[in-house]
Amino acid sequence: MPAERESRLGDVILRVEDLHKRYGKDEVLKGVTFELRRGETKVVIGPSGTGKSTLLRCINQLSVPDKGRVWLEDVEITHARTNINHVRAQIGFVFQDFNLFNHLNALQNVSIGLLKVRKMPKEAALARASEELARVGLAEKACSYPAELSGGQKQRVSIARALAMDPKLILFDEPTSALDPELIGEVLEVMIQLARGGMTMIVVSHEMGFARAVADRIIFMEGGGILEEGTPAELFTCPRCERTGQFLRKITELYGETDGQ
Amino acid sequence: MKKFLLVLGLLAVVGLAAVSAAATTYKVASDTTWPPFEWQAGGGQLIGFDLDVMRLIAILEGYDVNIISYSWDIIFIDVGNGRVDIGASGATITAEREAVVDFSAPYWTSNQAVIVMADSDLNIASALSAGKKIGAQVGTTGAKWVQEQLIDKGVDVELVEYTLYPLAVLDLVNGNVDAVVQDEPASRASVAADARLSIVGVIETGEQFGFFVTNGDPNGLLPKINDGLQKLKASTAWADLITAYMGGAELTKIEAAWVAAAPFLAAKDVTGFAHALAAGATAP
Amino acid sequence: MTATEILWQNVRPLFDALPVTLEVLGLLLVVGLTLGTVLAFAQAYGRRPLRALCVGYEQLFRGIPPLVVILLFWNGITPALGVPVPGIVVAALALGMRSAAYQSQIFRGAIQAVPPGQMMAARSLGMSRIQAIRSVIVPQAFRLAIPPWANEYSSVVKDTAFICVIGGLIDLTRQALMKLAPLSMRRPIGTQLILPYLIILGLFYLALTYGGNGLLSLLERRLSIPGFEMKGKVER
Repeated sequence: MPAERESRLGDVILRVEDLHKRYGKDEVLKGVTFELRRGETKVVIGPSGTGKSTLLRCINQLSVPDKGRVWLEDVEITHARTNINHVRAQIGFVFQDFNLFNHLNALQNVSIGLLKVRKMPKEAALARASEELARVGLAEKACSYPAELSGGQKQRVSIARALAMDPKLILFDEPTSALDPELIGEVLEVMIQLARGGMTMIVVSHEMGFARAVADRIIFMEGGGILEEGTPAELFTCPRCERTGQFLRKITELYGETDGQ
Repeated sequence: MKKFLLVLGLLAVVGLAAVSAAATTYKVASDTTWPPFEWQAGGGQLIGFDLDVMRLIAILEGYDVNIISYSWDIIFIDVGNGRVDIGASGATITAEREAVVDFSAPYWTSNQAVIVMADSDLNIASALSAGKKIGAQVGTTGAKWVQEQLIDKGVDVELVEYTLYPLAVLDLVNGNVDAVVQDEPASRASVAADARLSIVGVIETGEQFGFFVTNGDPNGLLPKINDGLQKLKASTAWADLITAYMGGAELTKIEAAWVAAAPFLAAKDVTGFAHALAAGATAP
Repeated sequence: MTATEILWQNVRPLFDALPVTLEVLGLLLVVGLTLGTVLAFAQAYGRRPLRALCVGYEQLFRGIPPLVVILLFWNGITPALGVPVPGIVVAALALGMRSAAYQSQIFRGAIQAVPPGQMMAARSLGMSRIQAIRSVIVPQAFRLAIPPWANEYSSVVKDTAFICVIGGLIDLTRQALMKLAPLSMRRPIGTQLILPYLIILGLFYLALTYGGNGLLSLLERRLSIPGFEMKGKVER
């Protein structure tokens, strides 16, 4: 299985090199380096407060790193001359608490990027947005406002919003952590389909079942750095670090294994 | 080029002559809340003794007036700084006001009437005796007299001041004050309108009303106003104006008479206007 | 003439004075809205010195009573500019600049009430800051601002009564004050009509306040979106 997966991965699409970020006295990222290949699903795990979310935000510059560099293909995102809006339009971002635009219905939420950023004609943008809503199973909720949607539905709309932009990769920041347990499955299902369909993704998550089933590689972060990176088989069966093993045992006890299938 | 300048100069001279030929219009500020000296008639016209005296002086002296309704609080400020040219608002000539504006010769001597409720058994002495509450309009001679002649001399009365005179009368009717001190003509009009009120006496304060202009009289208006006033007093118009406004006629009757007499004003017929006004106001 | 007829005769001039009050009200709202919006954005998104300047402006204008602001403007502006400024403009400017201090607080509060995640989500799609403000923040802040803005509207309607101190400006209140003496000297009615007359004056202001508030809640309803209900209403 791992070998089969390795074979479908392409060239390096994202390179993160020695990222540092501090908030006041707290150094949240202490030099993070990794590569992401086209079609890869990388799951980032680790105790909370360890810099996982900050890492995602530093990748598309929602937080500006203090030091280090990030490349998307051959464009250095961290370079001062890079048009960051242009780069962000190619990187989807799914937030823990959805951040749907509260004044727009589902269809408008999905189409706004196409209209305002891609400058697509309205008809085309709405058609594309409808497709994406259908893809996440919410075609009939097109006219519902965020306040009228369940948490799981909101997160699926927010995935559709990211997908509509035809992103080169999508960053998921704990996409199921704010959801009631019974709603987690529907979101994970969409993500699994995406991963299997070849979407490049980095997923910060506590869903070990998802990680085990879908991840090409798993990064274990602790204390602002990467402690260990490997395939699910490597990490779950014989982690190189004792800490990784401890964490995995604890997290499995706490959350169990939801794989959404 | 020289020719062109010459033509330009000639045009300028002609233009100036044309401007000076037309009568200058002066702005006259008046707090038109104070019948019979100045008020707004039912038809919207600003009329009253002060205003018509000023209008007739203007006719006699060959200038025009534009009467502007002004809040009493800022009349002296705006005449003082020249935003308006003349104040005609039943203003008593005082030394402190002289510091801000320049006054004309006096045109009216004001006496204060004391109004009480007709059923109160008060006389002029008891109405103004210790323990009484006395109402007056703020900034008027009446208020000043109560302060200076009673309170400052140790008489233990309470002076209650009102922004508008009718509110003082209303409070008298409502039983909140025992007496109201106010200029005689206005007091007579109030008493005539309400049988429950009566005038128990008149205080001869001898304070004098004057028109006023910006300090230093930059437009040279005072000589004209004084000259016009003298001419007016020498004519039959003066007695007619007093008859019309101070004769105790009901305000609505004066308003109707004023409207009927207005064509004389337009024709700049000073005595004709005053005669028509007096005739209308006193007609049975 | 009956008391009712006399009363009606004196109410008619109030209708003549109404346009003056309405003009000042309209102008002051435009001044307050424009300046208030600029101040709010400067405070929400501007640099520190600019923010401090705006706070100073707000504190200055919120700390001075409307009547005093009007008197200051009436006696300050024309001499300062050297040209006569019409009373109606002075009144609208004075009250408008005062209202701007309150309106900027309303708008700033509304902008800041939009959750920070909204801006982040907009930026993550590749929108510029300006685009995000225009397409995401403002439409939400605008809806949040309507109820408190209706409050401010009610308050400035009543502030317009203070313009009666400006020479030559006959607004509702000034007109009513001018009628009190002639009204109280009608024979044989005397002061009896003063109270009903003042009540009618109050009704004019009530009509302005509630008429305006009615229009605003109509606007609010037309723009209403689930999740943006007024406080106090039950959430779905």
